[in-house]
Amino acid sequence: MDIGILIQVVFWGLYAGCIYILLATGLNLIFGVMKIVNFAHGEFLMLGAYITFIFVALTGFNPYVLLFATMPVLIVTGIIVERLCFRPILGTGKLNEIFVSLGLIYIFQNVVALIWTDEWRIIPSPFVDVTVSLGSLEMPLDYLIIIFLTIAILSGLYVFLRKTHLGKAIRATSQNRKGAMLMGINVERMDMISFGIGTGLAAGAGTLWAVSGQVFNPYIGSIPAIKAFAIVILGGLGSIPGAIIGGLLYGIVENMATFTLGGAWKDAISFVLLIIVLIFRPTGLFGEEGE
Amino acid sequence: MSRRFPIIIAIIAIVIACAIACAGCSEQQPTTEEIRVGVVASMTGPASSTGKDIWQSAVLAAEEINADGGVYIADLDKKIPIRLIQGDDESTREGGQKAVSKLITLDNVDMLVGGFSSAVVMAHQSIVADYKVPYIISGASSTAVSHRDDIDTSYMFYLRPSADDSSIVTTLFAGNVLRPAINEKFGFPDDQPLRLAIIYQDSPYGKGHQSAIHATIEEYALKITVVSEESFKMGESDFRTILTAVKATKPDAVYAVTFLNEQIPLVQQARRDVGLDTIFLTIEPNDDPDYYSGVGTYGEFSMLESRFSPYAVPNGPTASAVTNFVTTFDTRWNGFPGMMGAATYEAVYVGAQAFENAGTLDKTAVRDALDTIELPQMIEAMKNGVITFSDDYRESTFELYMSQLIRDESVGEPRPVIIWPDSLKETDLVLPDWYAPGSE
Repeated sequence: MDIGILIQVVFWGLYAGCIYILLATGLNLIFGVMKIVNFAHGEFLMLGAYITFIFVALTGFNPYVLLFATMPVLIVTGIIVERLCFRPILGTGKLNEIFVSLGLIYIFQNVVALIWTDEWRIIPSPFVDVTVSLGSLEMPLDYLIIIFLTIAILSGLYVFLRKTHLGKAIRATSQNRKGAMLMGINVERMDMISFGIGTGLAAGAGTLWAVSGQVFNPYIGSIPAIKAFAIVILGGLGSIPGAIIGGLLYGIVENMATFTLGGAWKDAISFVLLIIVLIFRPTGLFGEEGE
Repeated sequence: MSRRFPIIIAIIAIVIACAIACAGCSEQQPTTEEIRVGVVASMTGPASSTGKDIWQSAVLAAEEINADGGVYIADLDKKIPIRLIQGDDESTREGGQKAVSKLITLDNVDMLVGGFSSAVVMAHQSIVADYKVPYIISGASSTAVSHRDDIDTSYMFYLRPSADDSSIVTTLFAGNVLRPAINEKFGFPDDQPLRLAIIYQDSPYGKGHQSAIHATIEEYALKITVVSEESFKMGESDFRTILTAVKATKPDAVYAVTFLNEQIPLVQQARRDVGLDTIFLTIEPNDDPDYYSGVGTYGEFSMLESRFSPYAVPNGPTASAVTNFVTTFDTRWNGFPGMMGAATYEAVYVGAQAFENAGTLDKTAVRDALDTIELPQMIEAMKNGVITFSDDYRESTFELYMSQLIRDESVGEPRPVIIWPDSLKETDLVLPDWYAPGSE
């Protein structure tokens, strides 16, 4: 087997892993702080792609630059969704959370279809013809930018969570909600901010995914959301390092399975990996007891 | 107050959203005497753009028929209108079963038309068989749908070419036209076989084409060597690894059995990301205005098997009908119809004629009328110029052709031009400068 082809396949896995990491990290952050299961998370990926699409159409700017305009828009959207839909039902039972998030899927899909129609859309990359050669590996520049931006966003999130007062408060809320309240942390505010950051990360995933030569319409969020949930479980509920390692593993395993067994096995092998990990570590790779 | 306020706002928002969403799902209002036709279409989900095309074309046909007074039913001794009822299959098997069950049991439809994906149609065929409702299927090209014998399919009629029909045309073109053109341009021996890769959807539709390609190569002794066969899940959007594997087998051309939402990223990722500078052969669901605009530069010089396009109009008796249909559709819906729309438009007319011939709404009589129907071809060219259904599997036979996407500078997008057969050809096949055959 040609080693150059294998390296190329691993590279495609890294790219896919970056998208999964952003989506799953956002989902995990929300779960870690609020302990809610948001099945509508994939719709924020879809919304991110649409918002960037609109910004590109309006301004003609580079979509990678506009990513930093899209993410704040989705952070605000996330805050509104948390405030209106999840805050009132927080603590009232998992069924309520599940049905609210399922309802949000249909609402977002229908509203987006109504506003922008359900035709397939694309976001053209400004670097579409630029390729970088590294030995036998031919890498389109777009994918290197996506990997770089993913690392930059995650580094920013790490610094925010570790070094800022607000980040420490979010972590404290995630670790012990009642303890955080007793220490004077406004946990409802932390919920709101965490939800906003989570949706912002999903918007980042949506934009980078769309710019990398994908087509999208209002219904593309569901499958990535399912995969993000699987990655979160694989990595461990509430664990951000788990989401990162899980996302990378998922991306690479999916692509290696496609290469060796065929595309029909792509999803199946990923879930086989999930089952194997859960057999040996029921809390996921980095999960803790009680999550 | 402060705690209830967000809940009230949320409820109001949900109600408004639902109302807005439902406003887009308009259906014609009932009258006392009418023919109720259920339109099975993917109004939501990955195939929603095709579903919208199906629904809008059906509405156009029903409006034209109703504007003429409706359909004459001898038993009633008067004309009655057609009322269309939408059945959204949600682009899923389960959604199709729900939609068809509702259309038959709650809406009491007299006939069904539409049906796109073979997998989705296969899942709800048994419901149609149980209730014995005439169903004119305008998609679902797999013969696994039309040739199945595990259920009673006698009420189902197929107004589309089968996967076998499409594959024969495309594979014959690849072996007898594309292969000699490549060999001539690159100075290869005349008898050098074409190295063909097949990328197919892992579904009855994809597998039907895959087996039909092999059968055609064998039956016609074509000089084609299949060097790679890769499958993918329906709805897939990341083809990079598959394409990397295909590129390693050095194909001269790639035969892709895909839907529109798969074909666009497939071709873009092949040329842009993987550097697979080859000719893509694809089949009719992709002959759609959304494909031309979506695939852009990367789709130029792709070749499509087709039977209808709003741009490439075959010369002949259907030319004026196609132009008229495209113009009327554009006036009504502000856009261009796709192939599935054209077939469903015809299906409504075929259904109307069957009701008229039967002279009753009785489902068995309508089924019998469909069995013997002979209607002059409308906007798609039919074998012998007549829409009819075969005795064995109740399939219709079309005049198919191959077109190639060539950039139209005036619109900045590729547009199809017919390149085969010679009787319909607008221009010769072009192998672009960037094309690199695997045989080199």
